[in-house]
Amino acid sequence: MVPISAYLIVGVALFAIGTVGVLISRNLIVLLMSVELMLNSANLCLIAFSRSQNIMDGHAFVFLVLTIAAAEAAVGLAMVITLYRNRETINIDRFNLLKW
Amino acid sequence: MESQILTLVTFFPLLGAALLLLIPKERHDSVKSIALIISFITMLLSFWLYAMFEPLANGMQFEINIPWVASLGISYHMGIDGISLLLIVMTTVLNVLAILASFNSITQNVKGYYISMLLLATGMIGVFCSLDLFLFYVFWEVMLFPMYFIIGLWGGVRRIYAAIKFVLFTMFGSLLMLVAILYILFEYQSFAGEYSFDMLKLAQMPLGHQAQLWLFGAFALAFAIKVPLWPFHTWLPDAHVEAPTAGSVILAGVLLKMGTYGFIRICMPMFPEATVTFIPYISVLSLIAIIYGALVAMVQKDVKSLVAFSSVSHMGFIMLGLFALNLQGMEGAVLQMLNHGISTGALFLLVGMIYERRHTRLIDQFGGLAKVMPMFSAVFMIVTLSSIGLPLTNGFVGEFLILLGTFKANVWYAVIAASGVILSACYMLWMYQRMFYGKITNKENEGLKDLSIREKIIVIPLVLLIFWIGVYPKPLFDRIEPAVKQVMNQMGRSGTVEVDEDFSIKPVLADRTAEQELIVKAEKEGE
Amino acid sequence: MDFQLPPYDLKMMLPEIFLFLWALVVFTFDLLTNRKKETAIGYLTLVGILITGVLLAFTGYGRGFGNMFFNDPMARFFKIIFLGAAFMAVGSSFGILKQRIRNHRGEYFGLILLSTVGMMFLASSQELLSLYIGLELTTIPLFVLAAFYKDDKLSVEAGIKYFIVGAFSSALLLYGISFLYGMSGTTDIVQMKINLAITHLTFTNIGMTLVIAVVTMLAGIGYKLGLPPFHQWVPDVYEGSPTPVAAFLSIGSKAAGLVAFAKIFVNGLSAFHGPEMLPNDWGQLVALMAILAMVLGNTVAIWQTNIKRMLGYSSIAQAGYIMIGMVTMNVYGLSSVAFYMFAYMFANMGAFAIVTVFEDKTGSTQIASYRGLSKSAPGLSLTLAIFLLSLAGIPPLAGFLAKYYVFAAAVEKANSADSASWLYWLVGVGLITTVFSLYYYANIIKQMYFSREDSPYKIPVSAPAMMVIAICLIGVILFGVWPEPILQFAGDIPASFGFIAR
Repeated sequence: MVPISAYLIVGVALFAIGTVGVLISRNLIVLLMSVELMLNSANLCLIAFSRSQNIMDGHAFVFLVLTIAAAEAAVGLAMVITLYRNRETINIDRFNLLKW
Repeated sequence: MESQILTLVTFFPLLGAALLLLIPKERHDSVKSIALIISFITMLLSFWLYAMFEPLANGMQFEINIPWVASLGISYHMGIDGISLLLIVMTTVLNVLAILASFNSITQNVKGYYISMLLLATGMIGVFCSLDLFLFYVFWEVMLFPMYFIIGLWGGVRRIYAAIKFVLFTMFGSLLMLVAILYILFEYQSFAGEYSFDMLKLAQMPLGHQAQLWLFGAFALAFAIKVPLWPFHTWLPDAHVEAPTAGSVILAGVLLKMGTYGFIRICMPMFPEATVTFIPYISVLSLIAIIYGALVAMVQKDVKSLVAFSSVSHMGFIMLGLFALNLQGMEGAVLQMLNHGISTGALFLLVGMIYERRHTRLIDQFGGLAKVMPMFSAVFMIVTLSSIGLPLTNGFVGEFLILLGTFKANVWYAVIAASGVILSACYMLWMYQRMFYGKITNKENEGLKDLSIREKIIVIPLVLLIFWIGVYPKPLFDRIEPAVKQVMNQMGRSGTVEVDEDFSIKPVLADRTAEQELIVKAEKEGE
Repeated sequence: MDFQLPPYDLKMMLPEIFLFLWALVVFTFDLLTNRKKETAIGYLTLVGILITGVLLAFTGYGRGFGNMFFNDPMARFFKIIFLGAAFMAVGSSFGILKQRIRNHRGEYFGLILLSTVGMMFLASSQELLSLYIGLELTTIPLFVLAAFYKDDKLSVEAGIKYFIVGAFSSALLLYGISFLYGMSGTTDIVQMKINLAITHLTFTNIGMTLVIAVVTMLAGIGYKLGLPPFHQWVPDVYEGSPTPVAAFLSIGSKAAGLVAFAKIFVNGLSAFHGPEMLPNDWGQLVALMAILAMVLGNTVAIWQTNIKRMLGYSSIAQAGYIMIGMVTMNVYGLSSVAFYMFAYMFANMGAFAIVTVFEDKTGSTQIASYRGLSKSAPGLSLTLAIFLLSLAGIPPLAGFLAKYYVFAAAVEKANSADSASWLYWLVGVGLITTVFSLYYYANIIKQMYFSREDSPYKIPVSAPAMMVIAICLIGVILFGVWPEPILQFAGDIPASFGFIAR
């Protein structure tokens, strides 16, 4: 039996990778993927906690989170396309019209 | 009707402002006349108040106490004693004169101007009527923005700077006051088990010495900015010089009095011990204000800023009298609050009149005006003398009492303050000499017209008041004295401060250790 | 198996269900009517919101769906705020309806309604799962709305920035929620309170888990509220997105964040509040964020030249003031937060409505273009001045009482216990920054009134915008002078958290 801490460590690792990805990636698509990674690390934790305590709420939670992530990705990709049409780039550093 | 008369007096100008909103803005004449009528009726109402007020009676009169925001303990509690009564009457009178004086000088955005004036009146009267701390604060702030607009919209060259400085200074002080109010509220809650902002109830609450010092400090700073006490006075010359005539009149006549009124109504009854502790500091600041104001006034080239700095000096006198903490000093200070309103208000009105004719206020532009404008010069002389405090004018009575009271409290303070009187005679008379005597040096001054009928109507009541108070101030003292005694009794009630037979306040426990305190207690019980 | 939902439950959710259906109606109406009648769809939306409001009034207190859906005073109070914000945002959108969103009217209004539905679910949720879904339903439509001017580079940029921040913050929040779930073994907030109290007593070494949960959730909600250091998106998004959307965002999104904060931190984590229900460590963390918000929001706002951006910074500062009330976590504090939000709604929506009207006519959001407006549009200038003064907290307007109430809550708490005396600092900073805030609010008044030039703009106001402005004006004045009914209502809110009402 794998102890719960193993799952949590993987979860933390995924979360850290995702966070760093969001913070340092300059490409919007990579950024979207990083957010997905963060959501999935949360999912992993939810599942792990759910299994270890024998309660099912966590499983239900995960399914709904997956749905939400899909919705978010749909909106996000649509916005990336709009943005590309406008600015012909998806590099974050170029979006500097709004400042101070 | 009679039970709600304070509500009526306070909110009648507001009603008038609402009425003005409905009038098309092009019709300047009807706007002016309606504003005048409204303020005149308010004045009549305040006279009625004066007539119905019972002199020599103790306690608050015409009290109204209705819960307003019950869940926060805020009530609509109004009531007046002699001090507030006289200040209200002065406010309404000055308001009429100020409105009358702006008929020619205000040409743009007329409607907005008169609405602001009426709103201001509501705020000022409300401050003097409130017996609920929260209500007091609300009115205190309500008059802030009309004044901001009056200075900023209809003022002189540097009006915007002056307006913003005025607002930021006042706001800073009043926010400190808000914290203190909050603190008192919860102290009272733990003392009496209910939320209340009632000033009369709060004055009965015992407070620790430390807490009193902090609270007194917060309130005193707010009031000192308003008075203005040196070194918080820097907003005043700017505001005065830039404001239109009526604005200066109201500012000097009434707004500054709100500061000193706050000391009497809130600081002294609620924090008696701290008041006693603070006597030396405030007295010294007042003395500095007296001398500093007079010296700076002496070198001013602009009449208006001269009058403004003389205000700083005179307000120093009032503060000194208040903090003599005896009957003479306080009565004199209260009377001097009225006198200063009348004489400085009159000075600003007169300066405004000459400014309308010549569009300058620089002293060296004038000279020999006595020949072309005899009437104007005579009135100016009377007002000048009243401001100096010559016997038979109102200023004498007040200043004399203040000096008497100060003398009883501390001889040296009185000596220094008396030198301030001499200085004030210097700068006022010197200014008068330069403006009115001698030959007419400037050709533009030759064709100046003397007072018009409207201007006569403005100055006559003020001149009458100057002589009336100077010759026969007894009716005023009949109203002031019980109120001052009441304040002193409130101070004495706390047990930490003693009021002796001829009503002067002494610190009882301020310097005592706990051990000595016990001894005193034992002695008292023995008696 | 014969399984049926009890009818009682559905009845409780009636306003939400109705509003959801109405959103679908709005979507399809636009398709069916061939986009001929310009304003009809706007009025349709307004009617929908009004009916929802009526339904809300007839829905009683209670709970349903196995403790997942609560109709308590808090939920009802905030639902009123959400509906009010949506109503006013829609009402002030009629100008852009004719000019800039001609082809996507149904989507625009439908998305506002959907977002409102999300907020309402959020307000009623008493359970982490539905809370999270409610929050997502709130924000995902807002991403699209912020980027609604598809051809406007600023708008799209604002949208994408909001999206990045929103997605990132909800991921953070979710991660925190998963740890909270792990600690308590339940997603039900009431149950969680009990479980955590037991865990707290039996296990001493849940410290690290708790820290991860609290920090990530704080960051997630901090982003939604725009509290520093998570505030950078606020001014950008406010400036770029369509003005009514910015207005809706400033109230709806912020109130939603507050609700989530209250539910998770004040209620769910109450086991860690210490003996006197005192927020210990993370309370001071939030207080620090609030101080940063007030200082930064109020000082940076002074230098702004764009009025929407200035309102953005002002809203950061206002979030700071609200958090003063939240961090006290007593009876007084929670009611004060609710009342603050209520008063803030009127003032802010009103100010934004006037900015919208002005932008519709002139196309400008620069503060400098308001110069001399008092001469060409005296009524509008006066109203804007009143809204700004209410935001600055000048009596007798509602904003003053709100600020006063928040400070009162903090002083009460600080007065009651020595360990809470740091709250005095919070109040002190709040007061000093209030003076700063007066400077930039008064600056706009100065532009409108003190300039001797005449403004070239005559500003026409459409009927719905006029209605919105009038409602806000009445609200700002009326609830400043006669706040008693709202205060009574807000006074019931702490009961939702198990506090004994006063």
